[in-house]
Amino acid sequence: MLDEILHIMAAAIISWILFVTVDIFFKLPETGGVSGASAIARDIEAGGGALSGGTMMGNIVCSPDASAGTLLAACGVYVAGIPGGLAAAVMVYVGNRICHDPGYAGTTGAVLATFVVYAFTLAGFAATDFIAGMVIAILTIQGLSHVHASRLLARLWRVRQ
Amino acid sequence: MIALYVVAAIAVFAAIRVIVEKNTGRKLPYANVLGFAVSGAVVLLIDHPLALVAAAAYFVGSTLESNAIASTYAGGVKR
Amino acid sequence: MILILEAAFGFIALVGAISAALIRDSYGKLISLGVLVAGILPFIVDRGYIDVAITVALIAPIATIFVLMVARREEA
Repeated sequence: MLDEILHIMAAAIISWILFVTVDIFFKLPETGGVSGASAIARDIEAGGGALSGGTMMGNIVCSPDASAGTLLAACGVYVAGIPGGLAAAVMVYVGNRICHDPGYAGTTGAVLATFVVYAFTLAGFAATDFIAGMVIAILTIQGLSHVHASRLLARLWRVRQ
Repeated sequence: MIALYVVAAIAVFAAIRVIVEKNTGRKLPYANVLGFAVSGAVVLLIDHPLALVAAAAYFVGSTLESNAIASTYAGGVKR
Repeated sequence: MILILEAAFGFIALVGAISAALIRDSYGKLISLGVLVAGILPFIVDRGYIDVAITVALIAPIATIFVLMVARREEA
């Protein structure tokens, strides 16, 4: 049982690094996108957070991004291996277009996550560890402290610029 | 399976935080976490390809709903 | 489903339903309805009605969008 808990925590860290990297690479913290994301960013800033971090959190809410891609890819690998993960990537792509998002952060995250999760299942992890791990990762960004998370994301965004 | 308990616990935590938070713009990220947790729970409960479709459909649906609420909320503020 | 999981998701659905009744703000009410749907979906899936779950998962957000359209028309 302790093994599984350690695997879940490791999977959480790996998923966190994966989706934050892909999202920052695809410039999610950049202001001026979806109006809903800007509204959320403004409220987070009003609560003491950073605007660019808040914009990324708003973009995560308003459209499937790499975090959604990673979660659904992990679910896909759990259900049907690599074809399952790629099928999940297709569904994320369709979801992006339904939400009027022309970007590829979600699809890229899903495809990358499919191979990462599959590789780790060959090394002793279970795909379910990544499902729980990804939910823990998104909890740390969107569900604990918006102020601290947005400031951390803003600092990472400054590194990219 | 421990993963399912972890996900259910996070879902309960996120649901409580959504309700307790007063500001709409800050409620939506907590609702997003709830959407993630329930999508994961759906797949962990039933190990079947259609469960993946259900999880994806629910996740895209909840994202679209949050997007609509956020855009309408933004539209109101701008006016 | 194991009892504690049923209790967890049932609690989410209950919290969503009660807060939808008590919260005054319209956006808060709509988000609470979303919490309610999130709570009942695992029950539907657990019984094996996956196609019903897919249908509910697609219809509930569309219903929310219709409600938003009505609310915006009343506001304007």
